[in-house]
Amino acid sequence: MATWLFGASALICVTLYLAMTVQGSWLTSAPTLHSVASDLIVNRGSSQLRPEGLALLAPDPAGTTLVSVKTALRSSDYPVVAWSTLGVPDQVEVALLWQNSYEPSRIFNRRLDVEAGRVQPYALDNDPNWKGVISGLALGIRGSFAEPIIIRGVTVKTMSARELLGDRVREWFTFEPWSGSSINTLIGGADVQDLPISFTFAVIVGLAALMVAALARWRPQWVGTTGAVVIGGMFVAAWVVVDARWQWNLVRQAAITTDRYAGKSWRERHLAAEDGVVFAFIEKVRARLPPPPVRVFMVGDEHYYRDRGAYYLYPYNVFFSPWVNAMPPASAVRPGDYMVVFQRRGVQYDPARKLLRWDANPPVSAELLLAEGGSALFKIN
Amino acid sequence: MDALALIFSLALPWLLGIAVLLALGWPRGESPGVALALNAGFGYGVGAVLLTLWMRAASVVGMAFGWISIALPLTLATAVLFFYAARKRPALWSEAKSGVAALFDSELSRWQRIVWYALLGWLAVRFALLATEVALRPLYPWDAWVQWATKARVWYELGRIAPFVREDVWLAGVPGAWFDASPNYPATVPLLQVWTCVALGRWDDSAMNWPWLAVLLSLTVAIYGALRGEGVAPLVALIGAYFVASLPLLDIHVALAGYADLPMGAVYTLAALATYRWCLRRDPRDGTLALFLAIACPLIKTPGWVWALTLLPGVVVALLPRRGLRILGIAAAASALVLLFLARTNTVILGYQMHLNFEPAWAQLVKSYFLMGNWNLLWYGVIAILIVGARHILKPPLVPLTVITVAGLAFLLFVFAFTEAAAWLADLTTANRATIHLAPLLVVLGTLTWHRLALPAALPVPRLAERCEPDAA
Repeated sequence: MATWLFGASALICVTLYLAMTVQGSWLTSAPTLHSVASDLIVNRGSSQLRPEGLALLAPDPAGTTLVSVKTALRSSDYPVVAWSTLGVPDQVEVALLWQNSYEPSRIFNRRLDVEAGRVQPYALDNDPNWKGVISGLALGIRGSFAEPIIIRGVTVKTMSARELLGDRVREWFTFEPWSGSSINTLIGGADVQDLPISFTFAVIVGLAALMVAALARWRPQWVGTTGAVVIGGMFVAAWVVVDARWQWNLVRQAAITTDRYAGKSWRERHLAAEDGVVFAFIEKVRARLPPPPVRVFMVGDEHYYRDRGAYYLYPYNVFFSPWVNAMPPASAVRPGDYMVVFQRRGVQYDPARKLLRWDANPPVSAELLLAEGGSALFKIN
Repeated sequence: MDALALIFSLALPWLLGIAVLLALGWPRGESPGVALALNAGFGYGVGAVLLTLWMRAASVVGMAFGWISIALPLTLATAVLFFYAARKRPALWSEAKSGVAALFDSELSRWQRIVWYALLGWLAVRFALLATEVALRPLYPWDAWVQWATKARVWYELGRIAPFVREDVWLAGVPGAWFDASPNYPATVPLLQVWTCVALGRWDDSAMNWPWLAVLLSLTVAIYGALRGEGVAPLVALIGAYFVASLPLLDIHVALAGYADLPMGAVYTLAALATYRWCLRRDPRDGTLALFLAIACPLIKTPGWVWALTLLPGVVVALLPRRGLRILGIAAAASALVLLFLARTNTVILGYQMHLNFEPAWAQLVKSYFLMGNWNLLWYGVIAILIVGARHILKPPLVPLTVITVAGLAFLLFVFAFTEAAAWLADLTTANRATIHLAPLLVVLGTLTWHRLALPAALPVPRLAERCEPDAA
């Protein structure tokens, strides 16, 4: 009975979801159209094709960036256009542009919303100018931006039942690798999800539980005294399904971790890690330092590198600014101390006079022991 | 050789804890299978805390950390305790053997047996995947290397505990003092890392994190044992334990080990379970264990003392079964009034600004608990089961566990609504980590409530008053 009720509940939930979200026809032969970054043409602004997508580096002198793609699609089959982007700043204006076969000389446009750096999908099924054959699509950006904007591609969606269900399942099983925020939170699939898996299965179990309760009220002989067991069984099944997604994610992550670190020594693993460049530099620093525990100041512009470099310096008596990019006061630095400068602007060294100076502090006498790629080790005299 | 050293580093505290519990005669009156699970489950937590207490003592008397100062005396102590326990209970060995047999030969139907082994296999895969991350990945998460492993590295190299001080004190040039992002944090977690490196014979910031895997494994076993101890069927108890082991945030804290939240959650859960056992049985052994684990809470994380205090409502309800709930209700109302007062005034006491800002970020909390992948279906299940099982949770035998859990939830809500953690909620940095401390207990309460709901109505419901001394009224 649990299986039947669970299946019936799932069917009802899926049908209701599709009834609310399908915008085209439920069943269509038109395939989803997807253009990747290499298919895109940059008409205005400068760009660079990178592994993660098309990086828009800067707008043209008029402050406009335009990315387009040739198409030949029947507008009636495709009610939604979704650009896949990363890093779109809030201060720019973003618009979708297109041409249709009825008025090929005109370019139509609609403003697009941006949330968390991502351009949101746009529904055009009620737009009077989304008609005939669409011969071209473009993404227009007005305004300047400091960091590159990544365009991964564009998808023109049928919004059919099959496509919607496929999209949801794909979102659930999108790989989520470890990141700096993993220790605090797990998204549970794609960064943006229309219908999270935990919510979906909670609703399915909830509806199935209501069915059990209804049967227990009006057809008690069908349920008997096992209502709690039936509901519990369905809850466990839903938990296992959601957990299967997590286990699959862990399997993929373990494969990546193994590929990167397996068979390596402790030192080799650190050199292969994300911060291998810091580890390698601190190794050279340690080779020039006397045995611990001398005092070592670690400074750097980048929060991550500064703190990570400090960590690698222990058991030396390290000082670093854990939260803000700040230099120590010159009065706190004593002869015999050392200072590691890792890519930090505003630190000046005069080799002729052997004077080290930073911010508005008076210069201190120091000796350069190591310099490499914008980073250095000094001994305070 | 490394593998042997690592196995020893985990086995020593685990066996030490089991030996202490056996010497204490804990748990009393359980079947061999349940007793084995409880001993094995609680053993690592108890042993790990004892190990770090020994290291603190060694440091105080000037014994450098090493095999001679740590491994030798604790191995001897473990052997002596096992010997003492075996002399006290000659049937100990045969009980242990029948306990192991009971874990695999329990009376399960065919389909239940299939589910049983499938779950065990699924869990084995999970722990193997987590072990891969622990074994290979260099220390990864942020706080692990700005405030925990910093201490471990210094203490390992020095062979003793050296003080860490605030920024201004360090800059003033205090000799022999170190600095990191959180110099006042407790020593237990870094000492566990130090011990692993001592056993290994070298500094290795991947290998030093094996204790986190042991913490989750032992917690899983402890929850199975605790549920079985309350009469839950073997398969349901295993499912409850599986729920805990499969909570994604707990798994992440093993895979990306180095934070104190998982050890904090494990020790608090064990303390709460021991307190619950004491409430139901009034066995001084349960009380001793609960007290020890409660005292251990602030040794792991500073808020541990508040978590330890959340155990008190359970004790109140057990001691005063007739008036306990009313007293707790009045105390909760009084606390709410004090909070309201502090939120609306700028009171200063002993120079401390007591004003509290009520700035909860509920939307992010809901997103984090219900829509993201952090907790599987935990919060849906907890809310549903507590609503459906409301008539059970405020009655014996569940009421002590309920009030402990509610006190824990109240603490979490206070942190989220009134402290600077509310700001961290907005960017999801702390809500889930704080919830790790309470999540295993929520699973236990939910499973026990479901167990009550699923019991045939004809079965008698145990009453606290029948097991405990009635209060004077």
